[in-house]
Amino acid sequence: MPTTAVFVVLAITIAIVAVVVIKPEITAARGGKILAFVGLFIFPGLVSVLGFENHVERSKQTTFCLSCHVMEPYGKSLHVDDASYIPAAHFQNGRVPRDQACYTCHTDYTIFYGGIKSKIRGLHHIYVQYIGTAQNPIRLYHPYNNRECLHCHEGSRSFEQGVVHTADPQTMIDIKSNKLSCTSSGCHDTIHNIPKLDQVKYWEAPK
Amino acid sequence: MNVAEMNVNELKMTKRLRVSGCILLLGLLVEAFSLFWNHPLAFIAFATLGMFLILGGVALYLFSLLGYTSAEGTGSSSYHGKV
Repeated sequence: MPTTAVFVVLAITIAIVAVVVIKPEITAARGGKILAFVGLFIFPGLVSVLGFENHVERSKQTTFCLSCHVMEPYGKSLHVDDASYIPAAHFQNGRVPRDQACYTCHTDYTIFYGGIKSKIRGLHHIYVQYIGTAQNPIRLYHPYNNRECLHCHEGSRSFEQGVVHTADPQTMIDIKSNKLSCTSSGCHDTIHNIPKLDQVKYWEAPK
Repeated sequence: MNVAEMNVNELKMTKRLRVSGCILLLGLLVEAFSLFWNHPLAFIAFATLGMFLILGGVALYLFSLLGYTSAEGTGSSSYHGKV
């Protein structure tokens, strides 16, 4: 639900609650009782559900991920002017939505998606950002899964008929079963490459 | 209905309604402000402080209804009778 709609429901709820607080004697009448029940029970629950859903949607945004200091270089790496940088090439060419770039490739990583472990990790990330100490450099909890690449590339001509991918029939089987990693098998292994970020040129998106 | 005419239970009910309304208003304001900010801390504020206040407000409201209903059941209240 759009943020504006959530604000409209919120404003209505605040108005009803304010009326009940200012003139509680209206609850003596049947209509007042119904109004109080709607304003003090139904609408606050509705606002909480809609607000939570809105926060979940916002958490997919690139700006949300990059709001943590430790993620800043990763955001910078999306602007590297070098096609061998996989995240940069995807971001700059619109292969992933620019406003949801992190989420698209790291879907199982945030508070709200993936299993229980992912959610606990998401909360842990907030904890280390503000109370603890973040790892430097940060590392993936587990090797990057080809599944995140195959969400989009599986079935595409360049992937299915790629010269290297089809040179040996076993290669494609291994890629699809995640036995042969796309990112660490020497083929597409320039990812964010944070240590080299001060040695590269940057691309500016046209305004 | 004039506030002066209310008996003790009615005054209690009115007070609880006001308190639960104020707690709810606080919670709603926290949730509203959190929606202006696209940041992990905004989510934490929403999910902890905002939700806590809203749950507290709703619980107090329901508790006051239950308390009033039981008081009415014992015949100690004329709140509904005067409607």
